[in-house]
Order: sequence, then C-alpha cells, then structure tokens
Amino acid sequence: MDKRAIKIICFAGLRKYFGSETTVEVESEASYLKVIDELKAINPEAIEILSSCRIAVNEKFISLDEPLKPENTIFLIPPSSGG
Amino acid sequence: MKHLQHTDLNYSELFDGFRNPNSGAVVLFSGEVRDNNKGREVTHLEYEAYEPMANKMIDEIIDEAISRFNLNQAVCVHRLGRVEISGCAVVVVTGSGHRKEAYDANRYIIDRVKNEVPIWKHEFFADGTSAWGQNCDCVTHKDEHEHNHQHEKAE
Repeated sequence: MDKRAIKIICFAGLRKYFGSETTVEVESEASYLKVIDELKAINPEAIEILSSCRIAVNEKFISLDEPLKPENTIFLIPPSSGG
Repeated sequence: MKHLQHTDLNYSELFDGFRNPNSGAVVLFSGEVRDNNKGREVTHLEYEAYEPMANKMIDEIIDEAISRFNLNQAVCVHRLGRVEISGCAVVVVTGSGHRKEAYDANRYIIDRVKNEVPIWKHEFFADGTSAWGQNCDCVTHKDEHEHNHQHEKAE
C-alpha cells in the first residue's frame, strides 16, 4: 500500500521528545490515530503525553479516527494550559 | 493578533475603553502569575500558543458568549512570552445590562480559554527546574467537561 510522509508540528512539552517538527510515514489510507501510534513507537517515553494530544489540520481539531486529509502537515496539540 | 499579545497587558486601559451606555455591569477578570504552585516556588512563566488557531478560537468563544449571555461587549487577551510574578497573563472583560450575565459570561470565557485553546504555560521554579503546566483538574471538575487525556507529569 502507498505510504505518505506526514509532517508534524509540535508544541510545548512535546518538543522535548520530537523537536519542533518531525515526519512519519504512514499508509495513505490510515487514520490520524496511526500517526500517533507511529510517534509512540518512535519515542515510547512520550506515550503518556501523546495519549492526551489532539490534532489540528487547517486550524481545526479533527477526530483521531478520521482518515488522513489531503494536507501533509498536521499540528499536534498537547493539553491546553493557558490562563 | 487581536487576542494574543507579546507585551504587557494594560487592563486598566482596556477597562476604561470598555464603557457602554447599555451596560449596567462590567466585570474584569485578570489571571495573574502566582509565586508558588503546588508547594513549589515559581520565579516566572512563559506562554506559548499555536497563534493563528488560538486567536481564532478565542474569537469564536467571545462571539458565542456575547450571543449566549446577551452581552453588550466582551474581550479576552492572553499574554505570550515571559510573564513575571504578579504580571497579568490573561484578561477577560464582559459588559451587560445586569451583573449576572456579565459574571456568568466572564467565567464561561475564561474556563473555555483555559481548557480548550492551544496555549501552554511553562513554569520556571526557584530550584532551576521547569515544567509545562496542565490546567485540567479531572478530580475536582470531572463533571464539568469531557476529555480523553491523561496528565503530563512535571519534568
């Protein structure tokens, strides 16, 4: 099956594990959950924070079980802590 | 950006510019930097955001609050970058005909901004360590909102 490279922009506490951005290769038909699973495999120390992250595409949160959209860049959003 | 600011927040100025002849109540909330957190001495905070998305989300929250609580005006500005102790990190001002709506809307806006908007607090401690903050208090507020996350441990 075809694979796609997905660029992931990381914020806040995530940068400790992946830097400001990283790239994973996943099957074209995969869901966003697969992207998270790939990141967990790359750095198991990040499993806990990855389990609490949301993903944004085009400045909107998407459901992790959605299939990948055409965009090749996604934003990985750790739990908010403003205020 | 309208709702995000890298320089000091002057909430007095914001408040003065907020008066409206239809508003019998104006409520101002200022979230300020405490010198301690969970028993640890805090020296300062640094805030980071996914700026375009955070700005857009705060805009939507404000619009929703205005409509839901029938406000005359509402504003929310959050600091980014380094904020010293007693510095203002976020300000919310709401104005309505009567006080209940202004109070309720103010709480509604700050709660949603803290829980939903992609803004992150980096706490710096007197012992030289630092940790990314976590707002959600699942133990005491588990009924108020839904989430599927776990908490990041302090570094």
